[in-house]
Amino acid sequence: MLAPATIWLLAFLLLPVASLLAMSLAKRGPYSSVIWTFTWENFARALDHKYLTVLIRTMCYASATTGICLVLGFPFAYFLSFYAGHRRETFLILLMIPFWTSCLVSIYSWIIILGRAGLLNNFLLNLGVISTPLGILNTPFSVILGLVYFYLPFMILPLYSSLEKIPRSYIEASYDLGAGTIQTFSKVTLPLALPGVFAGCILTFVPCIGDFLTAEFLGGPKTYLIGNLVQNQFLMAQDWPFGAALTTILLVSLISGVYFYQKLEAAELERA
Amino acid sequence: MAKPVTRREFLKLAVVGAASPWLLACAAKEKEREVNFFNWSKYIGKDTLSGFTKDSGIKVNYEEFADEAEMFAKLRSGARGYDLIIGTDYMIPSLKGLNVIDPYPTGVLTKTGNIDKQFLNTPYDPDNAFTIPYLWGTTGIGYNKKMMPKPPTSWWDLWDEKYSGKISILDNARDCISTGLLLKGLPETTTDEKDFAAVRDLLVKQRPLVKQYSSTQYMDSLVAGELFMAMAWSGDVLQSARENPHLDYVIPKEGSYMWVDNLCLVRGSQHREDTLRLVDYLLEGPVAADIANTVRYATPNAEAKKTLDKDLLKDPRVFPPPKMAKLLKFHSLLEPDIQQLWTDTWEDVKVAG
Amino acid sequence: MTKNKGLAAFCASIYAFLYLPLAVMFAFSFNDARRNVVWKGFTLKWYGSMFHNAELLSALVTTLELAIAASVFASILGLFASYAMTRHAPFKGRGIYSSMLSVPLMMPEIVMGVGLLSFFVRVHIPLNFWTLACAHAMIALPYTASSIRARLLSLKDSRLEDAAMDLGATEWQAFYKVTLPLAGPAIFSGALLAFTVSFEDFVTSFFIAGIGIVTMPIKIYSMMKFGVTPEINALACCLLLLTVVLLSSQKLLAKKETQS
Repeated sequence: MLAPATIWLLAFLLLPVASLLAMSLAKRGPYSSVIWTFTWENFARALDHKYLTVLIRTMCYASATTGICLVLGFPFAYFLSFYAGHRRETFLILLMIPFWTSCLVSIYSWIIILGRAGLLNNFLLNLGVISTPLGILNTPFSVILGLVYFYLPFMILPLYSSLEKIPRSYIEASYDLGAGTIQTFSKVTLPLALPGVFAGCILTFVPCIGDFLTAEFLGGPKTYLIGNLVQNQFLMAQDWPFGAALTTILLVSLISGVYFYQKLEAAELERA
Repeated sequence: MAKPVTRREFLKLAVVGAASPWLLACAAKEKEREVNFFNWSKYIGKDTLSGFTKDSGIKVNYEEFADEAEMFAKLRSGARGYDLIIGTDYMIPSLKGLNVIDPYPTGVLTKTGNIDKQFLNTPYDPDNAFTIPYLWGTTGIGYNKKMMPKPPTSWWDLWDEKYSGKISILDNARDCISTGLLLKGLPETTTDEKDFAAVRDLLVKQRPLVKQYSSTQYMDSLVAGELFMAMAWSGDVLQSARENPHLDYVIPKEGSYMWVDNLCLVRGSQHREDTLRLVDYLLEGPVAADIANTVRYATPNAEAKKTLDKDLLKDPRVFPPPKMAKLLKFHSLLEPDIQQLWTDTWEDVKVAG
Repeated sequence: MTKNKGLAAFCASIYAFLYLPLAVMFAFSFNDARRNVVWKGFTLKWYGSMFHNAELLSALVTTLELAIAASVFASILGLFASYAMTRHAPFKGRGIYSSMLSVPLMMPEIVMGVGLLSFFVRVHIPLNFWTLACAHAMIALPYTASSIRARLLSLKDSRLEDAAMDLGATEWQAFYKVTLPLAGPAIFSGALLAFTVSFEDFVTSFFIAGIGIVTMPIKIYSMMKFGVTPEINALACCLLLLTVVLLSSQKLLAKKETQS
């Protein structure tokens, strides 16, 4: 009974990834064909100064997005779990609805909002806060805003479910033993919510790293990300081996990240 | 509650589930009357294809590309089954070199007489074997008159700090590097890496001012007033000007390039007969005129000029008068081994910090 | 209590942030301009013209067909795999196998996309509707597998299958007379999730959709590159409504199941 799923895993997951790995060691031939050799050239090129900048920029954007999502998401999840009472189901569904819209349409709406002749600029102009329209679109700001918008639910949901799991009696016990609000939060609630924090960070960080749509539409020349670079190698520059090498680097760093996270989580659980 | 499935049905489902991609891939191979047409974006009349389908009963699967590199990539990855593509003049040698296009069979097309003689026996296709000209146009600067009371006249306006964050540059290696070489006074056929380094530096210097590198989105941005100026293709700006009357198009005084887009037959096409019928249809005077009227590019179809909008025919931005034509030249045809240098230079510009 | 109020206000502003683009999408579906960037006036025409736009409608049909095929495949695969993993003797590497099933969740979509593209091109698998449907089934599999497995595990605890087999049913009979009907709602709710995953997928389709296969997200993408009309907003509003209905029914199903 395992056969169908195994075939699927092989044909649509393992072999594609294997073919990527193999291709990352190949070479680009004339007219952008692929020559099957064994060379580390692509990896050397990927770590070249100019591509490294893109790689580092992507990491910075993804980290910033994850950080902002955490800062915004934690109080939100906390409220949902501790104060929303019986309406929490409704609140959760309300959180998911924007996420079900096609992300392309949401991006388009953000373009309408942030543009030079857009809603935000018009609003600020009418208010008299600014006298000339601000160039908000196609900047790092608009890209991070878009990323936060798309991945915030990925942060909130695991946070929420880990906060839900905390037995309320622990918190009461902490108060009973004379701990203040802050102390209870930092000594009881936060440590118990840590698995959710980790999970949320991973779930936000991973898709951020591979995102190319947000940067393509909300970004500009200064916000070229690794996703754009990979897309470009496969669909524009036609250097598939190099694109495969970039993807491999992405994959390896993610796998080691997730592995590290699991170790951390296991250690954390043991301590608790 | 769903009715329980019988064992036989269950087994059948299991087999289908496991083998479906291959079984169904085979089943889907049945031949249909259709043409898979791969064209530049915004490059056809509103009713052109539906008109053809009505006339001939042949379905057209129409797909657009925003950049020639994208087109090459999709062609190369094969398996997609395009029948008819648009190749711009300078791409023809590469298309031939890649063995992805076929010559037209002689004597099948009936409307080739409609083509303006000036577009025959060109350097890129001396025997008229591989190409049928479709539309032609120029590269220049589109701008918003409201925001730029003094219109741009020079390519160097796109390097002016004043317009930082308010300009868009075509996301196209050929146009940008050719323009760079032109501004540096270097020949387009150069093979010297130093020349390319100089152009790269020039374009990297422009980079901080650029709001977006785009071959298509700039049209929306121009209409929305997001941009002051955009390096642009003639017809794109004139199409956009329908929605924002403040938009205008100019060919810079340093000169620029013109180009001809051609219909090419893809090698290995499964629908050759139907494809040729579509090409013949596109060559019909009224059809070609309707396309040009819609997309605001110039048509190489002599017959079409009879039914072309009068204002389009007289528009110097579409059909440049002799004085302006002196500023324009065709792209040179490059050797295949030099193309890598072009691609790499452009990528350096795109990823520069 | 003041902290409570402050938090509530904070949450309200997060909701405002999340719903702002939706509000704009809705408002601009009534925009009387062909290019949807500047407000020109109120109209209802896009809701009408949407139904006459052959390209949009055919994209919608393709997307629906694809989502149905993918969710059917993903449900069958998920059912088989979950059954094998919960009912049969634990095999070596079961842990790895089950985490493999959730890998597509953790992988950036772009990796899936380029991996599939390079593999298919390399072994000359044609890029057609069915290859795309099978790829979608792969990315939807984690959802169906986890939903079905949870249900099968709880069924196992109830020992109903054991009872059936004690009464003389073969394993197959127990499967299709007991397990399948009882797991029905879970399979359906997994299938609904798979449907939405396929329906919303852009990245995988973007890389491996062959010619003539234009799904809704691909259509929206090319319209965004080449110029959007408010028809897209109108359609997106309708689709959002559809998704809300679908997923609420999935939630209700899941809820019913936990209660039963």
